[in-house]
Parts: sequence; C-alpha cells; structure tokens
Amino acid sequence: MLLPALAGLVLFQFAPIVVGLLNSLQSFNPFTHRASGWVGLNNFVEVLAEPSFHWAVLITMVYVVLILAITIPLALGLATLLNSRRPGTTFVRAAVLGALAASEAVTALVWNQMYDASTGLLNALLVTLHLPAQPFLIDANHAVVSIVVMTVWKDVGLAMLMFLAGLQSVPGSVYEAAALDGASTWKVFQRITLPLLRPSVILVMFIATVGATRLVTPILILTQGGPGGSTTNMALYSYNQAFSFNSPGHAAASVVCMMLLLVALTGGQALLLRRRGGK
Amino acid sequence: MSKDINNIESTSGISRRTLLGQMAVGASWLAMGSAMGWASVVQAAPGSNPGKYKIDLGGYNGPELTSEPITLRFMRQDFAPSVNAVFDNAYAEFRKAYPNITIEEEKVPYGDLQKKVQVYVASGEGPDIMMGRNDFATAYAAGQFAVPLNQYFSQEFIDDIVDSLRNSGSVGGDLLCLPWETNPVFMYFNRDIFESAGIETPPEVSDITQGWTWDQFNDALDRLTKALRAKGDTTSWALAASTYGNGGPGSNYAQLESIWIRSMGDPNADKASSLYKTFAGVSEDGLTASGYLDTPEAVQGMKNYQFLFANGITPKGAGSQFREGIAGMMVGSINEANYMTSEDRASTPYANTPPFKFGTTPLPRGAMAFSAIIADAPFVYAGSPHVAEAAALLAFICNDANRLAFHKEWGSMPGRKSLLALDPRYSSDQSYQLAAAVAATAYAPPQTVGWFDYFNAVNPAVSDIALGADPQKRLTNAAQQVDGLLAKYK
Repeated sequence: MLLPALAGLVLFQFAPIVVGLLNSLQSFNPFTHRASGWVGLNNFVEVLAEPSFHWAVLITMVYVVLILAITIPLALGLATLLNSRRPGTTFVRAAVLGALAASEAVTALVWNQMYDASTGLLNALLVTLHLPAQPFLIDANHAVVSIVVMTVWKDVGLAMLMFLAGLQSVPGSVYEAAALDGASTWKVFQRITLPLLRPSVILVMFIATVGATRLVTPILILTQGGPGGSTTNMALYSYNQAFSFNSPGHAAASVVCMMLLLVALTGGQALLLRRRGGK
Repeated sequence: MSKDINNIESTSGISRRTLLGQMAVGASWLAMGSAMGWASVVQAAPGSNPGKYKIDLGGYNGPELTSEPITLRFMRQDFAPSVNAVFDNAYAEFRKAYPNITIEEEKVPYGDLQKKVQVYVASGEGPDIMMGRNDFATAYAAGQFAVPLNQYFSQEFIDDIVDSLRNSGSVGGDLLCLPWETNPVFMYFNRDIFESAGIETPPEVSDITQGWTWDQFNDALDRLTKALRAKGDTTSWALAASTYGNGGPGSNYAQLESIWIRSMGDPNADKASSLYKTFAGVSEDGLTASGYLDTPEAVQGMKNYQFLFANGITPKGAGSQFREGIAGMMVGSINEANYMTSEDRASTPYANTPPFKFGTTPLPRGAMAFSAIIADAPFVYAGSPHVAEAAALLAFICNDANRLAFHKEWGSMPGRKSLLALDPRYSSDQSYQLAAAVAATAYAPPQTVGWFDYFNAVNPAVSDIALGADPQKRLTNAAQQVDGLLAKYK
C-alpha cells in the first residue's frame, strides 16, 4: 500500500533535491547545460558574492513578511464572517474560492491588464475618482506591493478554508459558556477562538511561507523581475540563472540557499509557536 | 535513441542504414521504372532536384532517404490556423512520397522557443529539427549542436539566401541554421492621424539613409502627442508600444531596442573609437561589454529612447495601438503592409479596425542608418538519429512552393533572392523596396558566444531606462552584468 506513495515521494521529492545538491557542486557547459566537473563550493561562493543575489534574498523575505501579514488576518476575518452564516456569506465564499480555483498564470495576466499604467482598470478608476494614477508595475515599491496584493487575492481562499475548518471544529458549548460568563466578542476571540485555532495558524503560516518563498509566476508575468531587478526573489533569480544566463550551477546553488532559508524560516516559526503554545 | 552530440562527426558520411535505405529505394525505383518507364518517374519528381528524389526536396542534395519506418520531430512556434495548415498540407505531401516517415510537431509559444531549445539540448533528446534564430548561430557553433547544412544543401540554394541573412546564420563558412524568412524593421505611419493633427509625415523613401534623424523623429512625435492631447484625444499615441517579444519597453533588444544604441555608432570608424565600439556592442573577442554597451553615444541613444516614454509619446506598457488605429507610428516589418492590403483583412490583426491610409519610412538614423537582421531559422539537431532525413524534410518545407504558400499566409518577407524576384512588389512598391533595402543592409547582433546572456541582461536594462532609470548608470550596470555573464565562456 505504502510503496507507490513512497516511490512517488522518492522520485518527485527526494531525487530532485539530491540532483539539485549535486548540481550545485558542479560546473556546466553553458551551451549544452551538461555537467563538466566538480567545483566544490565555488558556485556558492560566486552566488553569495553577487549583489543581485543579496537583493533577491532580501526581497524574498519582504514577500514572505507582507504576504503573511496580510493573508493571515484577512483569511481569519473571512473565515469568521463565513462561519457566522450571515446573509451574503455564500456569495463571499464562492468569490474567494473562485479566485483560488483560477489558474495562477491567467490570474496574473488579468491583473497585469488591470495594473497597466496607461490603459488599466485600476488607474481608470482612480482618475475617475480624481485621484492620481499610480505606477503600479513601473515603480519599484509599487511593483512589490502590486505583486503581493495579487498573490494574496489569489491565495487567501486556501488559508480561509483552513481557518474555517478550524472554527467549525470548536465546540459550540465553549462559546455558550463564555456568553454565560458575559465575555465580550473580542475577549471570546482572543481567549477562545485564537488559542483553539493554533494548529490552523501553524499550518497556514507554514503553507503561506512556502508559497511566498517560491513565488515566481506572478513576478514573471507582472514585472519579469523589474524594474531594476527590484521584484526578483530567490526563485526568479534561480530561474534566470538557469534559463536566461546559461548557469545551471549557479541556479542549483541559489536553489539550495533558498531551501535552507525555507527550512530556517519554517523551523523558526514552528519553534516560536510551540513555545507560545507551551506557555 | 539519441547520439552523444559530442561524438558526432562534423562531416557525417553515409551510414550503413542510409546505404541500405538507398539500396531499397533504388530497388523500388528499378521496379517502378520497369513497370512505368523512367519518364513517368522523372515527371513525378518536380522541383529543383527533378528526378533525384521522389518529391521536390528543394535545396537538399544529400543521400536518398531511408525506407525504414522512422519518426521525425519538429519543434516550431505556433501560428494562426491558416499558417499551420500550410505545414499540414506539406507534411501530407511528404508522407505520400515517404509513407515510412512519420512527422510529429511540437508547437511552442514564440517567446519560449529559445528556452525550449536549451532544455532539449541539455536533455540530449531534442527534436530532429528545432526552430532557432540566426542571431544564435555563434552559440550553435560553439555548442556543436546544429548540423552544418552545407553538407546536405546545394551551394546554389545556400547562395540564394539573402546575403545578410546567410552571413548571420553562418559561422566559419558553415550554415548552421536556415533563415527561412526575414523581418526587416522599418516604420509605419498612420497618415490620417498625422494629417488631422497637422504634422508633417516622414519621408516615404526606400533609401534607408534618407529617413528622419532621431532629433527629427522625437521632435515630430512630441508635436504629434501635444496636438492629439490639445484636441482632447487621450487614447491615441504618437508611437505604438513595441509588439516584439512580450511587447512594451525592453521587449526585444536583438531586433528592436538595439536600433537606438547601435545607430549611434559607426562600423567604419576606427576600431579603438567610441563610435565603432558603440556599433560593435561587444569587444573583438566577444567577452566584454563594458566600454561598448555604455559608451557616451550609447547613453545618448538611450536618452533618445527614454524621451519617448518620459513625454508620453508611447505607452509604458504593451499593446497593439497601431493595429487598433490609435497610434501615429509603429516599428514593424513587411507583414503589416501585407495585412493592411490583404483581400482577406478579416483574418488579419486589422480585422476590427476601420481601414486607414498608411505610409512607410526608414528607421530614424543617428551616426548611421542601422537595422538588425533577425530571422527565425530552423536547424537540424546534431543529436538527431536521422540527420539526413531531417535535413531533407527541412529542405522540403523550404522548397519554392511551400515557402511561397507560407509567405502568402504569414505575410513575411522571403529569405531567398529567387523568391523575392517572383514578387513584383519588391521592385515597384516603395514599402516593399524599403523592406528589401533594409534586409540587404541590416547587421547581425553583437558577435559573442554569450549573446543569449547578453540580450537577457540588456532587455531589463532597456525597460528600466524606459521607466525612468538613469541611462548612464543603468547601461554601465548592464554592461558590468554582461561582463560577469560572459566570463564563463572564457
């Protein structure tokens, strides 16, 4: 029973990691992309000396922080709203899940049109409201935020579903007892809902962190990493090294760095949340 | 099964299998000859190689094709259905003559073609024919993954390719890819928009040295923009966004934006001069861009480019404004003229645009009139187990009949002189004469084995400059990045 799953795991998860590690230690023929010899940690040394890689690490962290900071409260708010079964919640649920079901590339293409500085819907709305048009994708700071907004819009549904499942598993009797004790809505949320949702929060943080770290499709479609490389994260940096700059060794080295960063981030999160849970 | 491309001899002789195939074909021809008479066999083999092969294999002069069942794979870009049908019809004809050869196509979005080629070459399992580009010929030579076509094509056929195209697809005398069409770049203008704004139209000439200068171009388009806005027209543009690559600024340095920089140089200047270096774009050994991509002349070229965006002359995003009838000018190739004058306009990108009067003019010039010669150019993969058959199929697709059918549907300019001579417009119509003049005088991209890295690094720099980055700083930064990228080719 377990063998096919194990085989799949080895083939599609572990083997690529091993290949990536091995590639990061080799040099490659830039024309044929075939390994041409072992170079030890040379690829890492060269990648770590690159200012553009430093920026990619920084911008990866910015994406992670912004996406987590917006996704978690928004998803929690939406889940709470849907859990209350008020009028209109069915529509909200359909809208949020619709965005989640849409293709990432198609979504990015649609947002690309909406963000267009000259002909986009968003600037048309701003101008109609007598507000200044915004350089959504052509200014470095705007571009990062624009990518984050699109990503959150697209992916908040998954986090919302997890929180919703968590909320629905909280026994109604706990809330009834709190109501009898005269607890305010905020106190109920703070002292009952949030602690009981800790497993969901850990899961959402983990998934959102992984997703934000390996974000690449929206960046490719919306900004191609620009302007001035300002939106290029580690994933896109690796992609460019492999497919734009004929450097598979550097690509593998940066992917290994990304993997280590991801392990550190998610490990740190788990540690932090467990400690808090312990208290 | 694939061969190790490193072990492929550059001059492949006739293999045992090919020899057996030839014997089989010879035996079948003898049988046919005795049954039908030789005359009928000759009549059934029209084209430039009458009687030599079962069908017109165009410029192919290699061994007869195998009679064993094989499959040939061809990776190319996807076209409109009517253009794809040209290929389907050709394959059907090929299959009729060689029923043992199955043809499988892989259609890839145009922008992904070169990356797909890289992935296939790395895998060692590439299709027998892949759609390349003439500007990558140097890399094909260095990587030894394209079969020199001189081994399979007649010299007469190769000499027939437009000189600038042939030279750009050749390295050391070997034709490594077959530029099968050309897209000489010049400018279109919407006469109605210019006239209604009261702005003089550019010179309609076929002499590429008689177009506007950059100063005249920027000045006229600036005045056109102001005239449009003064009339309350906020949707029209003086210059349409680039429709090359993924569109918008920094879309395709190879074909488009390099014009702004390299036209500021001079190929006839002293090699140590800034003018020459600006034209060259890279050092003699092809490994250094600093001092070539960021010369004062190159910076001025990018300032001219930036002017268009900074003054609202052209959009900062993508779009097809000229085709929508809302742009005064656009950079394009002969396809546009073919589309606009097509009897079947409904099947062109102008289907939903009311007809307007258009004209053509050379690209603006700096120290020189510059245009880059870029063409789709399929190559035969050196790792193919059926190199001769792949070359024959490529030659068949490129025979006169199939090429003419392709150009008729696709609207591009033929890449061979004999086909150009068949179209009287190239000697009588100013737009077509201009296209031919550009094709005849266009230049190859900067000569470096790392051209792929080069333009992938420069495209974002051009885009950044369009969006407001300092041209001097950004070009210097891009040149340094290119230097770093080219270091691995030393």
